[in-house]
Amino acid sequence: MLKALFPTLSRVRFAVQVVMLFVTVYGSVLVGTYMADKLSNNLPALSCAYDQMNGGYCVLIPTQHILHHRIGEAIVRAQQLTFGMVLPLLMSFVAFFAFFFVLGKAFCGWVCPLGTLQEIVGRVGRRFGIGLRRLEDGDLVAARRVRPVKWLLLLGLVFLLPLLTGLGVTPHALGNPYCDLCPSRIATTLLTGNTEQLAVHLGDGWSFALGATGNTIIGFMLIGGLAIRQPFCRICPMLAFNTLFQRLSPCRLVKTRHANCGTCRICTEACPMDIPEISLEDGRKAYSEDCTLCGRCAEYCPQDGTIRLKWGPLTLFSSQRNYYKTKVQRELPDGTVKPVRFVRKPGSADHA
Amino acid sequence: MQGRLLLITWLAMAGVAQAAPHEHGVPAAEGRAKPAAWSALPLLLPVGGRGGERDGAQLRPVGIAASELLVFAPDGSQKSYPVDAEGARIRSAAPTQGNYHWVLAREETPTHVGIASTTWYFSNPGPAPAKLLARQKAELEITPSPLPREHGSYRESEKWRFAVLFMGQALAGKSLRMETEGGSRSVVQTDQNGIATVLFPRDFAASKGGGHGRPKMNFVLAVEHEAGGKHYRTTFNHTYTPDADRNRSLAWGGAFLLVGMLGAVPLLRRRAANNQRPEA
Repeated sequence: MLKALFPTLSRVRFAVQVVMLFVTVYGSVLVGTYMADKLSNNLPALSCAYDQMNGGYCVLIPTQHILHHRIGEAIVRAQQLTFGMVLPLLMSFVAFFAFFFVLGKAFCGWVCPLGTLQEIVGRVGRRFGIGLRRLEDGDLVAARRVRPVKWLLLLGLVFLLPLLTGLGVTPHALGNPYCDLCPSRIATTLLTGNTEQLAVHLGDGWSFALGATGNTIIGFMLIGGLAIRQPFCRICPMLAFNTLFQRLSPCRLVKTRHANCGTCRICTEACPMDIPEISLEDGRKAYSEDCTLCGRCAEYCPQDGTIRLKWGPLTLFSSQRNYYKTKVQRELPDGTVKPVRFVRKPGSADHA
Repeated sequence: MQGRLLLITWLAMAGVAQAAPHEHGVPAAEGRAKPAAWSALPLLLPVGGRGGERDGAQLRPVGIAASELLVFAPDGSQKSYPVDAEGARIRSAAPTQGNYHWVLAREETPTHVGIASTTWYFSNPGPAPAKLLARQKAELEITPSPLPREHGSYRESEKWRFAVLFMGQALAGKSLRMETEGGSRSVVQTDQNGIATVLFPRDFAASKGGGHGRPKMNFVLAVEHEAGGKHYRTTFNHTYTPDADRNRSLAWGGAFLLVGMLGAVPLLRRRAANNQRPEA
């Protein structure tokens, strides 16, 4: 029964994503209305605090608020150092890490509502035969340079600007600038039937600019996502945040070298983040900063045991030639689903 | 302590009540702080506005002769704070326990019980206020169902539900009066479950809308009930904020969404055939 429902790792992951999409967007019906009831306000996924129906929200908003309202203001007051600055940020990071420790970067690939929505857009693109574009040589090679952008967004918009706002250097409108850009804010609130976040703030120049940029990003993501897999994930500061702790989680990707590595490159082709390291490298280098632990590389590796998803000493999933053969019959590595063909049964013409 | 204060309040109010006639057994105005300019109903108003300290606040009872404020914490504890000319300084239940607290002022005569209530949000973490709201805190209560979430607020043009309870039981068919600082006045009836659905009026002046530190105005809800020869009147006051749409533009939002979409359209062109990866 289970085998029929979830024949592949991808199917298991999609089921988890759909459940987590419900939890992260509408979860208050399960856990309760108030913030104190929530799963956490330090989730390693873009579950938006502006969505009044969610079941928990992401670590980036408390990080910005603590830097803005507590650390910046505490530095200005130059008092209450321990209780005002260190403890709130530490508690926020500890709560985040308690969640992160369990799944690591799988939060990106299995839980994040924005990741799920982008995958759904991508599936629509494959269904309608829109050609896949890749960030690699021979295609969108210039776009490969976006990799550091997620670090710039994390440092600039999540850490630096909120702190400068708390210090009184930058205007109040820059208190939580990342949230003002985040497409998950717009997407998840729209899913609850609320258009408020889609409307751009007219209050001042900064608010307008940030809101306009956020709307432009989600517009790009909706159409670009038909051709490029996971376009926003590539610049997502949550991915960078999770990468900071990547080596500390027992949940990880493990790759050993095989003679065909670097030549067949099916794993890179299957990777929704177009990560070349997974086919070219092995060991720690193969587990790239862009990896979301979705497991597609392991599903599409035709070599037994070459790529594995592991949690501590436990192997959660391991590449297998037989699995690959079955999988590729249903769906190509780039996500294109093979069309169902109706063929005449041999000999049936005689009965017609 | 609480009983003694109530007795003193009662004796004081009894004297005042005999001195001057009034309607519905409500004590006369002597001994009370002057009502707010926008409403004659009893209110608990913050001194210096909402916000400020994380574990303390100063509230002033207005239009009610209360000698103390009772603060109910979400952990079930309760504490009283004496009221002086400046109001009462209240604190969260413990330095580390924040979240919503229920604040109540009371005046009582042999024929009248007046309650002014509000909530105060202390921004430190604390238990969710579900049990706090469910607990009976006075004879006649107006209980938000639910309260706005921690980063939320009552807002213009929104509908919010309030339960009207007497001795913990729902009161059906009761009139719940609303008065706002913006000058609106309305009355809604409770349904068979004692729930009144209140539409917050759109009465902010145009210049007051929007912004992160958005402006707030006060509102008060009032209900009255007669039972056992006594007249009960309870108020619940809080603040509400402008409709988010006042300072936002859906048209601009849609326009930039479209700009982003158009920017991505070139990606939908197929790659040149010589760049296609060979089939795996």
